[in-house]
Amino acid sequence: MVEATTAAVPTQEADLQADGLEHLVHTIEHIAHVLPSQGPIQVFIHHNTLHAFEHLSFHDAVKQGGATYGCHPYLPEDRYRQHLARGRIQFEDLAAVLIDDLGEEADHLVSFLGTRHQLRLAMLEHPLRLGPDAELRWLIAETDALRRFREETPPSKREQMIEQTRRWVLRDLSNGSPNENRDAREALASLFEQFGAAGIENWNDATWEAFTLHALWRICHQGVHAVPRFAPLPAPLVRHRDIILQATGIDTDRIVHDVLIRFCGAFLDQGIADWPLPTRELGFFQAFVELYKDARQVDGWLSPLGAELHRIADAQLSAAEVIDENLRRLGVSAGETEEFLSRTMLALRGWAGMIWQMETNAEWIVHRTPHGSLLGFVAVRLLLDRLAVEYVARTELGNGSELQDLRSLARSKIQHASRVSVEQRTFLIFQLAQVLGWTPEALSKLAKSDWSRLVEEIETFSALDRRRIFHLAFERRYRNQVLDAFLIHSQHVAPPSDLPTFQICCCLDEREESFRRHLEEVEPRCETYAFAGFFAVAMYYRGAVEAHHVPLCPILIKPQHYVEEEVVYSLEQTHRARQKTRRVLGKAKHKIHLGSRSGLAGALASIVGSLASIPLVARVLFPRITARVSRLFDSLVQPPALTRLTLERSDPTPGPENGHLGFSLTEMTGIVERVLRDIGLTKRFSRLVIIAGHGSSSMNNPHRAAYDCGACGGGCGGPNARAYAFMANDPRVREALAQRGIRIPPDTFFIGAMHNTCDDTLTFSDLDRLPPSHRGDFEQASAVIKRALCRNAHERCRRFESAPLSITPEAAHRHVEARSEDLAQVRPELGHATNAVCYVGRRWRSQGLFLDRRTFLTSYDPTQDDAERTILTRILQPAVPVCAGISLEYLFSYVDSTGYGCGSKLPHNIASLVGVMDGPVSDLRTGLPWQMVEIHEPLRILFLVESTPAAMQSILEKNPVIQQLVVNEWIQLALLDPDSPSVQLYRAGRFEPYVPESKELPIVSSSVDWYRGSRDHLGFASIVPNVSRRISSKGQA
Amino acid sequence: MIHERIFWLLGLGVVLSPAMLLVSVGLTSLLRFPLSERNMARATQVAVLFGLTCAVLVLGLMLATGIRNVQVEFGDWVVIHPEDFHFHLKFVFDRLSVPFAILTFVLTGTIGAFASHYLHREPGYHRFFFLYAIFLVGMILASLAGTIEVLFFGWELVGLSSALLVAYFHERQSPVINGQRVWSVYRIADAAFLIAALMLHHLTGGGDFEKLMGSGSWPDSVAAITPNQALVVGLLLLVAAAGKSALVPFSGWLPRAMEGPTPSSAVFYGALSVHLGTFLLLRVSPIIELSLPLQLAIVALGVITAVYAALVARVQSDVKSALAFASLTQVGIITAEIGAGLRYIALIHIIGHACLRTLQLLRAPALLQDYRLLENAIGGHLYAEPGWWDRFIPERFRLVLYRLSLERGMLDSMIDEYLVRPFIKVFRWCDTMERRWSSFLAGNPAGRIIHEPLAVPEPAGDELA
Repeated sequence: MVEATTAAVPTQEADLQADGLEHLVHTIEHIAHVLPSQGPIQVFIHHNTLHAFEHLSFHDAVKQGGATYGCHPYLPEDRYRQHLARGRIQFEDLAAVLIDDLGEEADHLVSFLGTRHQLRLAMLEHPLRLGPDAELRWLIAETDALRRFREETPPSKREQMIEQTRRWVLRDLSNGSPNENRDAREALASLFEQFGAAGIENWNDATWEAFTLHALWRICHQGVHAVPRFAPLPAPLVRHRDIILQATGIDTDRIVHDVLIRFCGAFLDQGIADWPLPTRELGFFQAFVELYKDARQVDGWLSPLGAELHRIADAQLSAAEVIDENLRRLGVSAGETEEFLSRTMLALRGWAGMIWQMETNAEWIVHRTPHGSLLGFVAVRLLLDRLAVEYVARTELGNGSELQDLRSLARSKIQHASRVSVEQRTFLIFQLAQVLGWTPEALSKLAKSDWSRLVEEIETFSALDRRRIFHLAFERRYRNQVLDAFLIHSQHVAPPSDLPTFQICCCLDEREESFRRHLEEVEPRCETYAFAGFFAVAMYYRGAVEAHHVPLCPILIKPQHYVEEEVVYSLEQTHRARQKTRRVLGKAKHKIHLGSRSGLAGALASIVGSLASIPLVARVLFPRITARVSRLFDSLVQPPALTRLTLERSDPTPGPENGHLGFSLTEMTGIVERVLRDIGLTKRFSRLVIIAGHGSSSMNNPHRAAYDCGACGGGCGGPNARAYAFMANDPRVREALAQRGIRIPPDTFFIGAMHNTCDDTLTFSDLDRLPPSHRGDFEQASAVIKRALCRNAHERCRRFESAPLSITPEAAHRHVEARSEDLAQVRPELGHATNAVCYVGRRWRSQGLFLDRRTFLTSYDPTQDDAERTILTRILQPAVPVCAGISLEYLFSYVDSTGYGCGSKLPHNIASLVGVMDGPVSDLRTGLPWQMVEIHEPLRILFLVESTPAAMQSILEKNPVIQQLVVNEWIQLALLDPDSPSVQLYRAGRFEPYVPESKELPIVSSSVDWYRGSRDHLGFASIVPNVSRRISSKGQA
Repeated sequence: MIHERIFWLLGLGVVLSPAMLLVSVGLTSLLRFPLSERNMARATQVAVLFGLTCAVLVLGLMLATGIRNVQVEFGDWVVIHPEDFHFHLKFVFDRLSVPFAILTFVLTGTIGAFASHYLHREPGYHRFFFLYAIFLVGMILASLAGTIEVLFFGWELVGLSSALLVAYFHERQSPVINGQRVWSVYRIADAAFLIAALMLHHLTGGGDFEKLMGSGSWPDSVAAITPNQALVVGLLLLVAAAGKSALVPFSGWLPRAMEGPTPSSAVFYGALSVHLGTFLLLRVSPIIELSLPLQLAIVALGVITAVYAALVARVQSDVKSALAFASLTQVGIITAEIGAGLRYIALIHIIGHACLRTLQLLRAPALLQDYRLLENAIGGHLYAEPGWWDRFIPERFRLVLYRLSLERGMLDSMIDEYLVRPFIKVFRWCDTMERRWSSFLAGNPAGRIIHEPLAVPEPAGDELA
């Protein structure tokens, strides 16, 4: 019996402990979802920075996310006020948004001074200054704050207030019955003395103004005295580091991170170091233990590390056990464990997030990170944290061993944070009273409860709420402009009827908007379409010169098919020879690269290093010519230009091996049909149909992948377009398509192309297959495209300060070419910056509308869709999350460039080939660099879909991903009626008709007439060729 | 005669053009008429091109006339009679200074063009170019200096601008801390330099290199002091050079200097600043020649630095640190070459290395693309092969070596722990003693320490309940 119990107890304890550890592991994995989810930087997928908070509504999420990451939820109030001053936000936007926000409470009376709506509007309109007490006292004593009204006070209000005060004083205070206004009289008694009550009847206007303000100040001061606090207290700090930092000014993270970052870098390194971490195979935790357990440390705080690690190694403690132990020794109670761990992991969130991503989500990298690495990271981090805290406690706080109580000891040394003082509150109400015309008399009649309510009213409309309202107003202005523009524009457009000269299908990317617009301007008889840039060809692709397969499809899809580029058989020998040369050259280059960094080989390289000055000077001073020359040299070893894609598969199952490459005929037919049906191109085929994917080329740019095609998973969409064109040209595919109801005429030829959005070139593929009969068509189309590209470059150049506004289209094209080759260029192109809208509908309804490269355009023909809206559903399924991801990533990287974004590009330093750091040692920086988002407007993307409320509702119900984004307001949604120019706006769960604000839309004869001479965001305009005379004659009239 | 005139004019051009740049950039900013980005870039371009042209003409003239040592005098600027001190502004154009000046112009000019694009729209654009102008003046003064005072003046300007450029992003904490660290190390180097300069003054009665190194043009000149004097002065100068060129044990600052924008990291720490120490050694090489122990010390320090940096460079996992240590490896080798008396080789090495490293650092952000191209060419992943010497190191020791390299030899920790901490301790102790002493004198019988009252903020109004 006895024996049995004693045996049972340890196992029970062990079980309990095991449960506890499992819980710990679970907690850490849970927290991992809050870490930045950006993977290795070679592949850049735009995603919502606050993806972990998507289950919340947008406004709750920015609040909570802001608290979690210490970031701004919206722009600073000043920035919105600047927009208000510039007219980018208008006063009626604020009023309308505020009414919406308050709902029924808008008319709620705040004592008798006005409604809540009025009060809040005043607070939004006039900046309320607030400073520390000392500043306020200075303001009162040294400035004329108590002698002159604020500048914002309207003169009429000022007169009125002074007059009323004068009457009040003369009527009630100096002569009235002593029982009335006792409080006010007491408060103002000394004031009369100060101003000389004897001469009261001779006071001039200035004296009365000063007296009014003095009285106002005193009454406010008296009123807010002893009003309780309304704002919640800030949450207490849990991390030892934060408390110690406040108490002593010493940042233990600095010393801990120095060691930790160096180790993380070595552990994750994908090939920068020639000498990889020898213990990497053991996993993060064991690798650290093995590397450091025998180290004799010089730094005082690290001296116990060796002994600790030896103990851990001898007892064979796991990472979870070490975490558990350190939590206990740091005195972290079970209740605060999650908060504590979360704060601890977020302190170095870039690296922690990268470890988690590489552990769970990056199977394609060379040196994989084993499972459990994040756990190891937390264990090492806590161990180092504890050593650092112990050391500081010993040396600075005089606390030898007791870590348990360290936090309360340190807390006691923190000086009290300043609270809201009476002066500050007085000043707030004093400022408000001046702009709202609250007289001292009126205020003196408020009871204590009224004062309390007033203060509460003001303090509960916090800075955060004000910024939210401003943000909503900021969005509302642009939304109304977009919707008005679409409504007005679509009134005078008609579907095309002529057979087009050629048709082109681009990516839905908003950077293609201007390209398409210019194409249509240069050749009004062409038609443009857009589909997600992977053109339904989801594949792993390997080019003829490439070493690895890369996935080319949206991140949501895992491709099953493999496609390779092969040199045509007749040129196989040249190809082989060149491949060999490339390999030899490549190996030599690699040797030189490594050698130049080593000792003796480096010395040899350096002695002849003066030669490096030639490419150095040439590259920097003449980027465009140098690039041409080097391309000329490269072409000697590049594979022959004649290549084929291995697209057709004979074997039933797809795979990466020979014979399994490519697609079956049925799959090809499916792909071709899918795109044609989605974009609504099922009849009226022109003789030439161009399919244009896109990518971007730039130099010296770690974030290069972020400029490529989002629908190709941050790859380049050229191969997809090429594959698609090849499939669509296959007569067997066409035959099968005809059976499915799409008849492509035999004289229609598809051609693939790649649009480089940085240097604005378009490269066609498989031109050798162009039938002689189509050469004329092709040459015409390509001439049109060339002109459109020049114009497109010209329009882009208006955003680049280094290109003069007077630049010609040809010079503009040269300018963007140089940009893409310039080593010193940190803004090769502006990427998705300024994106704001996504239009899903027929092109002819938006054709000719100047959208300023801010609108994603997806082709969709509601008249060809079925009752279940199958087509719209499958368009929106990828488009909504992808576009929302782009829009939200830009939004957050702009709103807080150092917190959510990765700050300025200038000090970036590639670390471990997986990310960038600021300078030599810092956290890995995730998000977008400031140079990419600089000209962005942080708006949630507005989806404008050509559909009906009923159809959209049913799509929302069936697609939880889209529904969550819409319902939680991460995106805005509006519907353009397919048959009439009217819009329904999604608001709080239902669609409401949108009432247009304006009926005017400027009409210009070409895009350049509209954007010429301007660098800022531009409004909308209808482009109607040959209309300039009409406008100018109107102008004269 | 006519030659002298032309040399004087050209020399004036070389020195004056960067100075004019500094004056125009500095004055316009001071007077609140900052130049526009475009004009700033243009001014830099003109100044550098003009200076470069003059320097190249000097070189051409030297080659044509066979004159190998040209001295350009601007007279005494400060004369203090009792001490017989004079600040003599004099520049020397010889086989050492002219190539170095040309290198400076070429690299800074290229970087100037690079930075004018790279820093476009950057709030600190003016600050960068102002510091850049200071740096350029410093480099030119130092490389052409004909007296040790002028060299020191240039040396200081280089140090000042370098430290401020490290701390360029002063809104973040770590650039400022690292900038301060660089500055502190430079102070040690400067102190050693200053003492050496004073000693030379005492020994030869002036700061003129002509007197110091004896007659004859570089590198054939012969110094006129005794070997023992040379050893003491040489060691001091070696400390100065070690600080400036990040030789062991001061190496820790070099990777920290990579906080600034890429172009400044590239040209200053990768290429020019870091070679200034070796340039100093080259300049005083006639002194080094006098003392064998000194030569051995220099070779030893160079070799130690080279081996240390080569090891450390191999394990760095971020590209800028890897390049910083790669740079240091070569600086170590160059130092050893100077110690061994291979002056021309050292000079060629400096020039080649500076160009190569600048190019590499400028291209550092393109590393991902470069690796991808290499992988494509080779047709597989890149694997680093172990070095030939790896075989000779036992497994166990290899781990220790790796760890030491990863921790950069713990040089910074050692300086902090064994130098800075005791230093601070001593001075804190002195501080305490002084307080006691003064309180004793003030008649405080207990002799207790009276702390100055902390600045307690006044109670902030009446606190709210």
